[in-house]
Amino acid sequence: MLEVQHLHKVYPNGTVALTDVNFTVNDGEFLVIIGLSGSGKSTLLRCINRLIDPTAGKILWDGVDVTTAPAGELRRIRRQIGMVFQQFNLVKRSSVLTNVLAGRLGYANPYLSLLGIWPPAERERAQRALTRVGIADKAASRADALSGGQQQRVGIARALMQEPKLILADEPVASLDPVLAHSILQYLEQLNREEKITVICSLHFLDLVHRYATRVVALKDGQVVFTGLPQEIDRARFKEIYGEEAIEVRAGMAES
Amino acid sequence: MLNALASLFLPGLGQFLAGRRTRGLALFGVIAVMLGLIIWAVTPAVGGAEADITFKGNPANWRWLIVPTLLWLWNIWDAASPRPVLIPVIAALIMFYVMGWQATEIDLEALAKNFDRALIILRPMFRPDFLQPKADRLEAWVELEVPCSPTPPAGANTLVGTSLSLSAGCASVGETLTLTAGGLWPDSDAELVWQSPIGDFFALREPGTTQPVITRTDSTGRLATRFVVPKAIPPGIDPNLPQNQRLYVRQSKVTGGYELSTNGFFVLKGIYETIALALMATTLGTLFAIPISFLAARNLMSANALTLGMYVVVRTLLNIVRSIESLIIAIVFVVIVGLGPFAGMLALALHTIAALAKLYSEVIEGIDPGPIEAIRATGATWLQVARYGVVPQIVPPFTAFTIYRWDINVRASTIIGFVGGGGIGFFLVQWINLGDFRAVSASFIAILVVVMAMDVFSARVRERLI
Ligand SMILES: Nc1ncnc2c1ncn2[C@@H]1O[C@H](COP(=O)(O)OP(=O)(O)OP(=O)(O)O)[C@@H](O)[C@H]1O
Ligand SMILES: [Mg+2]
Repeated sequence: MLEVQHLHKVYPNGTVALTDVNFTVNDGEFLVIIGLSGSGKSTLLRCINRLIDPTAGKILWDGVDVTTAPAGELRRIRRQIGMVFQQFNLVKRSSVLTNVLAGRLGYANPYLSLLGIWPPAERERAQRALTRVGIADKAASRADALSGGQQQRVGIARALMQEPKLILADEPVASLDPVLAHSILQYLEQLNREEKITVICSLHFLDLVHRYATRVVALKDGQVVFTGLPQEIDRARFKEIYGEEAIEVRAGMAES
Repeated sequence: MLNALASLFLPGLGQFLAGRRTRGLALFGVIAVMLGLIIWAVTPAVGGAEADITFKGNPANWRWLIVPTLLWLWNIWDAASPRPVLIPVIAALIMFYVMGWQATEIDLEALAKNFDRALIILRPMFRPDFLQPKADRLEAWVELEVPCSPTPPAGANTLVGTSLSLSAGCASVGETLTLTAGGLWPDSDAELVWQSPIGDFFALREPGTTQPVITRTDSTGRLATRFVVPKAIPPGIDPNLPQNQRLYVRQSKVTGGYELSTNGFFVLKGIYETIALALMATTLGTLFAIPISFLAARNLMSANALTLGMYVVVRTLLNIVRSIESLIIAIVFVVIVGLGPFAGMLALALHTIAALAKLYSEVIEGIDPGPIEAIRATGATWLQVARYGVVPQIVPPFTAFTIYRWDINVRASTIIGFVGGGGIGFFLVQWINLGDFRAVSASFIAILVVVMAMDVFSARVRERLI
């Protein structure tokens, strides 16, 4: 269970990104965070595994406070939390296999991993993760030789290497076309349903939110303006979250 | 109309008043420079160096006034109503080019006129002095004194197996002596070579010709020949002072195959020194450039005012060092550590540090923070993040730049010897001064081969890495 309590984030340049954010995520949920660009979605997700240090507030992961965890403890927390990014964030010059193996660094022998040596068991695990996302044949390719959709699957395979209990996905499909968007989100949904991995995912398109979310948190100017089920977001709520002039756009092909 | 009037009195003034300031200033500047140049060109030259500039003081240069006059008129027209700028630009360019042509004293005639001089240099260059036919060599010598002193040497010398004797142990320049020799190879040519008091060798010539003195031995290996004592005292030494000199008899028997000539050996030594020098300079430069590049990377140094200040200082220093030609740095190091490859190596290393640190720092500035964030998120330690997130992003471009730099350093070190920095250039400049163009061409070929090989090698490796 993840509890976010009174979370504040002010960037060093004075930008107030999050103000008193409170919510709870139960195990097994597929929580979607929505909000306008600049509303603080990325900031919130990065606070959860402390890629960004929050200014105030608490984040309890299974009862342990992430915000005050010492370095070693923080790394043990991080390795249970997989992360998937909009820009995939692969090391472009490295092979797909190396990128996937990097997901295992939190468990690996620190010295051998620095030499680039991986036990056969871990290599097999990486190969299985790639098979799982359907690109087993690309293991030896350079990461930047892959298409966007394939790169995001490598990103998911890397997260899978962590045997995560929670996956944070920051707009995982924003740089993909609608067909690919669904295929990527279906992988996340499958992990959520079959392996009971909790997913927290920020999304832009409301039709995707309706299709995948079990619960929604909406941010506006760094504040939570809505928490509830996706079907509760009616026209009035929509205007409240996105502003008066907003018109809904769809990613499309919901059942492809 | 008022603007046109203003521009009539001062070029560009009308445009300036009308708010077209850049054009106004440019017009004024160009016309002022033109008039200045014309005045300079028609003023007669005074003193030494200036007199060499052939067109100075030529009243015909006044005709150039046409261009600024036309420009002045155009300027008035433009002030009245803005015109496209193309025509005055072309007019100004033509004028500057013609004046530039005269200032560089371009003399196409000289190119053709002195072609025969070039041939003297070019002809030996077609026979590079690198390999020579393999041969067995036999050498014998005898000492004599020029001119005579009261106690001249014996005029005879017996070495292993050979004996030489002269009709006299001393003589004056121009006297004819007889040489008798025994113990040489039978029935073969022998060359007479003179050694001057300071150790230089030159072949004896038949009097009045450029033919070397060559005689043949008889079937018992004996030889008797007359020769004229040459003038071998270098200028600056009193020719009346008796000095010991030597007459050599040399024979050689071609045995088939080729071997390195003496100069060929020096070419190899020089080119080896050049490559080693470049390698050492690149290595040393890289070692220093890596840490410095981190200080010169803006993204790492913009955290606070102190580091930003360091960044500015480091960057400025790098730019200054980089803008000094390594040949000039080499001169300074020759003064500090003396002639030789070490001075050249230091100069190249210094230049390499500046050049590579800048290139490296740009690689560091271009690092994608995304993968670093992603690897941090997996629970990796700081070292693991560096190994998996940073190293793969910087090592290939660093290596590519380093090899490219080695390539550049090989080229640079071929000429750094010209100022005493060691390597092939050191030999090359001496051969040029001695007029030994066969050796010069051998070193040209060696440089060409090495530079081309480095070029291909570095291009291949970089292709792989990027
Ligand atoms: N490193 C930073 N330094 C200063 N301000 C930042 C930084 N990162 C984000 N911000 C600001 O914080 C606010 C929230 O940004 P954040 O990236 O979390 O929004 P977002 O909801 O993810 O937007 P988007 O949908 O465009 O990704 C914005 O106003 C942004 O300009
Ligand atoms: Mg974002």
